[in-house]
Amino acid sequence: MYSFTRRRLIVVLLLTSVLLLTLDGSNSGLIGGVKDAFGVVFRPVERFANVVSRPLSNVWRGVLDYSDMRKENLALKDLLVKQEGAAIAATASVREAQELLALNGLPTLAGIDSVTAQVVGQSPSNFTQTFELNRGKSSGIRVGMTVTNGAGLVGKITGVTLERSVVMLATDPEYAMSVKVGACTRPNTTTTAVPQTTTTVVADGSSTSDTMAPGDGSTAPFTTVAATTTTSTTSTTSTTTTVLQRATTTTIKGFTPFATTLPPVPGGGGATQITVPESGVLLARETGAMEGQGIDRLPVIRFIQTSSRLGELCEGVPVVTAGGSQSLAPADLVVGTVSRVVTRTGTSGPLLEVELAANLQSLNFVRVLLYQPATEIPQ
Amino acid sequence: MKRFFAIIESPLTRAFLVGFIVLSFQTTLFNTLRPFSVVMQVMLLCSAASGVAAGSESGAIAGFMFGFMYDMVLTSPFGLSALVFGFAGYMAGGVNTFAYSPRWWFKMLSIGISSAAAVLIYPAASLVVGVDGLLQARVLGVALTVGLFNAALALPAVFVMRWALVKSKKQMLWAE
Repeated sequence: MYSFTRRRLIVVLLLTSVLLLTLDGSNSGLIGGVKDAFGVVFRPVERFANVVSRPLSNVWRGVLDYSDMRKENLALKDLLVKQEGAAIAATASVREAQELLALNGLPTLAGIDSVTAQVVGQSPSNFTQTFELNRGKSSGIRVGMTVTNGAGLVGKITGVTLERSVVMLATDPEYAMSVKVGACTRPNTTTTAVPQTTTTVVADGSSTSDTMAPGDGSTAPFTTVAATTTTSTTSTTSTTTTVLQRATTTTIKGFTPFATTLPPVPGGGGATQITVPESGVLLARETGAMEGQGIDRLPVIRFIQTSSRLGELCEGVPVVTAGGSQSLAPADLVVGTVSRVVTRTGTSGPLLEVELAANLQSLNFVRVLLYQPATEIPQ
Repeated sequence: MKRFFAIIESPLTRAFLVGFIVLSFQTTLFNTLRPFSVVMQVMLLCSAASGVAAGSESGAIAGFMFGFMYDMVLTSPFGLSALVFGFAGYMAGGVNTFAYSPRWWFKMLSIGISSAAAVLIYPAASLVVGVDGLLQARVLGVALTVGLFNAALALPAVFVMRWALVKSKKQMLWAE
């Protein structure tokens, strides 16, 4: 049997909760102010607790994570060796892409300032996926800014105080972002054998010429190499020099951005083959919405419509941010790769699972792009 | 001066101080120790222990206060943890009254059950306030782990919360 006092207590607590939830939902500054004030008082106590409990945390980590850490360390060393060469090539490609974008007057990430911050805390909840950074308003960080690390997109800033900010990870169920995804590049490559001309100049004045037809190179590799040969005759000794005039300029149908010119390779031999992706693959990209699915689940992309223009969707295709005036992040920021394509019937279109490029389990230093989306700027 | 000491000695002040210290360990130590990738919920433990130590009403108020403090460091909707933890404190007190003279194991059971229930209610309550995506099968595992952990730490937590919320006769006389 409930007494009146007990009922009243329950009602008061319920109403207070509803009031707090309403205040929070209306985005009034009151809740933020109260949280900031609490943070100022709580931070020193938390720091003290951190110092006190660190030995215990270290013991826990040492006991449970040591073998995993060793394995991971070896794997990372191996990966690092493989990545070093690729990183140099990628840097060159990125620079070239930025130059091209700049030439066309398009925005690039290079023009956006950023702040490096360290992850100093993690959400103690089992439901929200947030991290706390050691930089805040004083470093220019504002709500809505995009957070990345060396690998790709990490999340966005959802809360900021003077010296701290909170990052919502891209895997959080409340996170959504417009992204671009391309089709498979596998079947759409063109291999062209370039015609090659060989001119042989003989010292006695005569000359011979030989031209290889397209396609010859692919079936029978061209094996003549630049060389100096000595021909003996009955009367004189002459020197024959074979000069290779490599194919000069090729214009491939569907590949219009620029022509491909192969420079002569001294002493080089073999069939000259150029593999160039067709223009359709370079251009066809579909925009969809990537949404987080919670802890231990990969984000998914919805609203992708399959079309003949887009072609076939497959795993391993890179996913980048779409950009645009309403987007939460600048364009062409690496998000990850498609790890699974779920075909759905009807008009709902396929569902793509995304393997994020950034490892969200071991974040330490991150980069906050000082780019506040138009939708996040307070009116 | 007497009034000052009365405020300092009041159960609410004590509970607040306990909550403040426990919260600092929740965000540091217990944030690191994640058995089965589950964060242990010591604030929830204190809420449930309040109900067992001081009854349903006190448990509801203390749970609400602990949840309110927890909301200060979370990015989830403000007031949601207060609501759920208040429920946990109330429920733990309620379950504990089923036994005439509850033994130690029954207190552990009360706290374990109410903690697990609170973990299950949290995503459902978030769904009501517009945060979807939290209600997943994983929640069952989280509820079980949190329930077991809180049951294991129930007795020391009840001891601490009894100290905070229940005044001894000596203290009452001194305050007067």
